[in-house]
Amino acid sequence: MFRKILIANRGEIAVRVARACRDMGISPVAVFSEADAGALHVRLADEAYEIGPAPSVESYLRIERIIEAAERCQAEAIHPGYGFLAENADFAQAVADAGLTFIGPTAAAMRLMGTKTSARRIAVESGVPVVPGTTDPLSSLDEARRVAAGFGYPVMLKAAAGGGGKGMRLVTSEEELPSAFETAQSEAAAAFGNSEVYIEKAIERPRHIEIQIFADQHGNVVHLGERECSIQRRHQKVIEECPSPINDADLRERMGAAAVKAARAVDYTGAGTVEFLVSDATREFYFLEMNTRLQVEHPVTELVTGVDLVREQIRVAAGEPLSFKQEEVAWRGHAIECRVYAEDPENNFLPSPGRITHLRSPAGPGVRDDGGVEAGAEVSIYYDPMISKLAVWGRTRGEAVDRLRRALDEYAVGGIKTTLPFFRQIVRDRDFIEGRLDTGFISRFFARRDAAAASTEVGEDDTKRRDMALIAAALDYLTAQQQAASNHQPQGQEQSRWRLSGRMALHRRS
Amino acid sequence: MKLIAEIAGAQHEVEIGRDRSRVVAQVDGRRYEVEALASRPGVYLLLSEDKVYECRVERGAARRESLEVAVGSHAYAVTLTDPKRLRGTSQSGAHAGGTAQIIAQMPGKVVRVLVEMGAEVEAGAGVVVVEAMKMQNEIKSPKAGKVTSINVAAGATVNAGDLLAVIE
Repeated sequence: MFRKILIANRGEIAVRVARACRDMGISPVAVFSEADAGALHVRLADEAYEIGPAPSVESYLRIERIIEAAERCQAEAIHPGYGFLAENADFAQAVADAGLTFIGPTAAAMRLMGTKTSARRIAVESGVPVVPGTTDPLSSLDEARRVAAGFGYPVMLKAAAGGGGKGMRLVTSEEELPSAFETAQSEAAAAFGNSEVYIEKAIERPRHIEIQIFADQHGNVVHLGERECSIQRRHQKVIEECPSPINDADLRERMGAAAVKAARAVDYTGAGTVEFLVSDATREFYFLEMNTRLQVEHPVTELVTGVDLVREQIRVAAGEPLSFKQEEVAWRGHAIECRVYAEDPENNFLPSPGRITHLRSPAGPGVRDDGGVEAGAEVSIYYDPMISKLAVWGRTRGEAVDRLRRALDEYAVGGIKTTLPFFRQIVRDRDFIEGRLDTGFISRFFARRDAAAASTEVGEDDTKRRDMALIAAALDYLTAQQQAASNHQPQGQEQSRWRLSGRMALHRRS
Repeated sequence: MKLIAEIAGAQHEVEIGRDRSRVVAQVDGRRYEVEALASRPGVYLLLSEDKVYECRVERGAARRESLEVAVGSHAYAVTLTDPKRLRGTSQSGAHAGGTAQIIAQMPGKVVRVLVEMGAEVEAGAGVVVVEAMKMQNEIKSPKAGKVTSINVAAGATVNAGDLLAVIE
């Protein structure tokens, strides 16, 4: 087993990986940009190396700097986390070339699954169903127009090198196509350095359900069941759960088998996720893409199966066989995860960077908060705004929702805006509670919420709570006034504190 | 001390007196006796008739008088005016005189400017695309009108509150 692992990432995932290292008696090594010198992931590491200025292209994406750091500290392996270089085949290759172990699949497998067009081709070849669309990047707007007309609107434009909803655009009519095409290309170029875009028919009321797979270097490939990720905003997942509310053993079995087939087709090793669109009406499923890395939403699978996926990744990378067999995988209870973002839900989810002045994370039965920040930390404009993943577990979905509601109410973050208020509303939403989910959930939720807000009566409790808010605001104003006044007076508090420390210094001298 | 507080467009009169931790307050004539504990700056634990209200007060970045008060999991945007000082609540800015100032709401980088000087735009039309935290955000015009000023170019770095463009 490895003695030392360098974690080529930041934030909550770097913290998560460091925890698995600690569990296994492995020494975690951090890398950081200038902006992250005091970050939590640095504080929790045994060693830390600065790799450049704040922008990620000059630090977390600098392959040679990261490998240099790994060589300097004599780490045997590099864990890429997710995002940044996690799905960069050149990085995996460079790590291998330096004689180090990349904790993830081989560069060859990543290349095959890395672009959606190539992944689609493999899925088709291995008999896994796919959504109608192009397998090659579009060469021009005219071609996009032609292809879209072929199977009709709505269509989806997607970055060939994409993921995480970036460079992805729903186009409902031909008039929208030109500007959507340009934006998708430019976002793809900015985010992935590759502006290639392809087009797919959009499935109506689709559910986004993915299968976690795991493969070792000895030919064992298993699946750990599904995650329902239908609650998406801007095509980015915000709430994920396991099992899917529409799960049944048969569907899981069929999707699991398809996912394993896709993984085998590229001789996959390590943790991977095969994403499917599932028609809510027909329960037909279509291969979307394969993510050749750990997923943000891995905790829900961990909570339900009991398997530590990061620990398993490290074991498999070290050449050990999987620690469990397919027939040993059991799903117990229900888990739900919310991605807590530094974004303002009341202001069109605009990013809300800034200093975290107050932080109280929830705890208690069935609650797991994988955070990456502390009070006093600065949420920087340079990186992804996710500050934490809050996951809960319950014996049933109902119990999990109860715990999620409690945990969200307990969660307090000051200084920046977060998506917590938005989640508090969602967990009280009838459709969410009843598990009626599809990728259009959020927009319908907003419509319901606005209609409800217009008819809400204000109760006595609400009035009192609001009055207390006003009293606190007034107290704060009063305190600020008094402080300002005392700062102007020679006998103020600040003055006396200075005098006191002066006197103490005198005492020490004597 | 008497203050005028505005929440969601409604004005409330707040009168407050403090003797150490004991606070007597009147909000629109409703009288409260409250035990107030301020263990940390900006965090006030209020006990009123055995009910617990943990309140966190944050000052807005743009204007000192705009506060955000979180009570448990509820949040209120409050604008305070001290009648004695006549500060705060100047409503000029955003929509005064039929002009709309397009302001950057977050720090970031200008990716594209979608309009030209003198162009007529519809309400809701994209004006500038600003990228922050890997997301491109299209900043839209709140009203229909003519572009009378463009204050940024693609590639520029902007801070929250910076003027991007003006629509008249």
